Amino acid sequence: MKHGMSRTAGWLTGGAGVLALAVLPFVGNAYITTIAFTVLIAYILGQSWDWVAGEMGYVNLGHYCFYGIGAYAFSIALVGQWPLVVAIGFAVLITALAALVISVPLFRLHGDYFAFGTLALLPLMEVLAYNLTPVTNGADGIVLPVEQVLKPAYLISLGVCVLTFIVTLRINAARFGYALKSIRNDEQVAETVGVRIAPVKRRVLMLSAGFGAVAGALQAWQMSYIDPATVFGLNVALVPVAMVLFAGSGLRWGPLVGVLVLATLQQWLLVSVKGFQATLYGLIVLLIGRFMPGGFLRARWVRRVPLLSALAREHHEYMGESDAQAALQVAKDGTAVALPLPRIQPESGKPLIELQNVCMQFGGNVAVNDVSLSIRQGEIVGLIGPNGSGKTTLFNCISRVYTPTGGRVMFAGQDLSQASRDEIARLGVGRTYQIPRPFGDLTVQENIAIPLMFNEAPLSPRDAMREARSFIEYAELSHRLRDRADSLSVQERKALEFARALACKPRLLLVDEVASGLTPVEVQRFVEHIRHVRDRYGITVIWVEHIFSALEKVVDRVIVLEQGSLIADGPLSQVVKDERVLSTYLGSAAQASTKTKAQKSPQRAEGVV
Amino acid sequence: MEVLLQVLIGGVLLGGLYALVAFGLSLIYGVVRILNFAHGTLLAVSGVLASLAYASWQLHPLLIAVLLAPLLFVCAYGYYQVLLRPLSKRNHFESTVGTVLVTVGTLMILSDLTAKAAGATQRNIPLRLEALEFGEIVISTTQLLILLGIALLTVVMHLILTCTWFGRAVRAVTQDPVGAQICGVQSTRMKALTFAFGSATVAVAAVLYVLSFPVDPYMGFGLTVKAFTIIVVGGVGNLPGALLAGIFLGVAEGLTGLYWKPEWAPALSVVLMLLILVAFPKGVGVKA
Repeated sequence: MKHGMSRTAGWLTGGAGVLALAVLPFVGNAYITTIAFTVLIAYILGQSWDWVAGEMGYVNLGHYCFYGIGAYAFSIALVGQWPLVVAIGFAVLITALAALVISVPLFRLHGDYFAFGTLALLPLMEVLAYNLTPVTNGADGIVLPVEQVLKPAYLISLGVCVLTFIVTLRINAARFGYALKSIRNDEQVAETVGVRIAPVKRRVLMLSAGFGAVAGALQAWQMSYIDPATVFGLNVALVPVAMVLFAGSGLRWGPLVGVLVLATLQQWLLVSVKGFQATLYGLIVLLIGRFMPGGFLRARWVRRVPLLSALAREHHEYMGESDAQAALQVAKDGTAVALPLPRIQPESGKPLIELQNVCMQFGGNVAVNDVSLSIRQGEIVGLIGPNGSGKTTLFNCISRVYTPTGGRVMFAGQDLSQASRDEIARLGVGRTYQIPRPFGDLTVQENIAIPLMFNEAPLSPRDAMREARSFIEYAELSHRLRDRADSLSVQERKALEFARALACKPRLLLVDEVASGLTPVEVQRFVEHIRHVRDRYGITVIWVEHIFSALEKVVDRVIVLEQGSLIADGPLSQVVKDERVLSTYLGSAAQASTKTKAQKSPQRAEGVV
Repeated sequence: MEVLLQVLIGGVLLGGLYALVAFGLSLIYGVVRILNFAHGTLLAVSGVLASLAYASWQLHPLLIAVLLAPLLFVCAYGYYQVLLRPLSKRNHFESTVGTVLVTVGTLMILSDLTAKAAGATQRNIPLRLEALEFGEIVISTTQLLILLGIALLTVVMHLILTCTWFGRAVRAVTQDPVGAQICGVQSTRMKALTFAFGSATVAVAAVLYVLSFPVDPYMGFGLTVKAFTIIVVGGVGNLPGALLAGIFLGVAEGLTGLYWKPEWAPALSVVLMLLILVAFPKGVGVKA
């Protein structure tokens, strides 16, 4: 109830603010309006930058390029006597196309390299603007055929600002936003839970570029003149970025607050300090980087200030469900939680997954050597072998984290050679990682909801969040529902990892050492889970594990790898008597002594391993 | 033909200087994992300082380099400790954007203050020794000396990296920071020292640069871009790779100027870098 009221109050305050800004040019003088205009432009730039940086985690330092390209495209169109709206549309189109083209090389880069690659675009664009004289008029710049347009430019940019904010809200409520957030946390895991990351990255860059272009076009229109230094200069390019970071990148209100505070300060400094503007910008940028790269809204004292604490809410704090929803009981199936998984009908005789001569080589190191195996639907297979024998590499070959250097993987009669990671996930291969890799800055609920939003029958975020509760209940994590995943303990992370793999609605589940390092009770729980998902939902399981006592309770057979080669395949009780397996695990001397003992009492030999 | 050879020699010279800039950046990036966006600007500012020192007191360029290097070492050491080191304790996103903003802010401050203090004009050290003529080709003794200086500095850097404890520690931290720490390398101290050392190499590079090409306060970032391209091509921490890549870039720029238009030369490195990244996302060079 309280939540709903503060929401209405928020909308009313926002509406009143926008209205007040809308009448400003009619009551204030041109000077005030100009200042407000630059603040609006800075917000469009900063917020559109944050879609790529705050949401997706890619620090695009060349965002100003889009501003510049937009400004040039718009000016050229306007000089060519095109109508205003068409010129803006043209600017957006050209800029989005440019973003599409440069996204190809740029998204091959990560982290610092991406930041650098994008920053290097600025001097490139400047050179282009100076030297493509027939198009850009070189160093002379372009003079636009317009008179006083401050008022209309201001009103349009106010509208665009409102639109920018609405787009931000929409992104955060949509599957698209969750795709971005999963990319920000771990691209590889995002793919293995079914997110197609390449188009998402391309689209968000184009969206961000489009809004940057509008900002550039409006600024050019208002100034009625542009030249290369004003739109591609390194001095100005990072100011919007610094503004967003100042308050808090990735927060709903961060860009707005940061821009309001700093743009106002910047205007004041521009008037009162003469001559050292670049030094001053540099100093602001430097100090923000040094002292508050996470934003001042994330500082601890902010949480205690009433109004500010509302602005400082992280994205997932808005994800509250209504009390009625929260009270909904998760469906039960006898004593166990009923998971919203389809029951896979057993198809006898046909193998679900078939590896044909799979090889994986890293340089001269053969990690998986000519492995062929076949697993029927509904089997639970243990995959064992000493450390470094290629078990995890084999998993990586199946889920396409690695591309096998030889051989074929057939899944449900389909050749996976051409399939991408996310396609394989959607075909029905779920996996856990040996060291759990949750999406750290998302909640437990969101972690489970993401695979539900991106599998064969994608759910809306709202439905996915609801369905996620069953999986969380199943994993006994209900008390951590709204907690960030990076605050979980190791055991909880393993439970989350397993539940997230199940939420991929897999036909084949690859479980990588989910029980190692756990207490006997916790191990027993995983054993029961693995048996349950097979018996109840018909999920085929391959389980990599060193704990034989756990394996022997559920596996139908085990496969043994040694130095990348398959050396045994059969029931556990037989495999542990196999000479090659024994020598692999215990060395040849131990094998000799075990052999003599085994001859005396065959039962005890099993216990040795 | 003579023109082509002349351009080639100029290209090798310029490329060697680019490589020197890249050495420092590469060492710093390898150990500290910070992309120092102000690295090239440091060269530009040092170059301006060197030319001023030459113009005012007629100091020998070699002496200028010897004086400038420890100065930069001390300044960079303090700079790292005060402004960059505290950021390494933050989370990944924050330390990335934090270091970017700090170094870019430094870049803006350095170029603006230098321009205000010394003027935004181009400067060099007009040291002109007599020219040597090999048939049709004319090489100035200055150019030869610079080439010698580049070669010498490369050899010295290589010896430092391979034969001293400091160099081995640098390479160890570059390859595996945690492993190096376990073996007794104090990685926090190493980071500060490497940052300072990498910055001090700029002093020598700056003096050599300003002997043959003009510098101005705003040219720095262009140099950083080139140095980074060289690292991408040559491999992080790989000096021979960087030297080859640098010479390749210098010659390519020279040829662009000769066969096309000189004003396009600055764009070459960015385009080259993007193309290389499309073709070889992990860099071309062999890891040192």
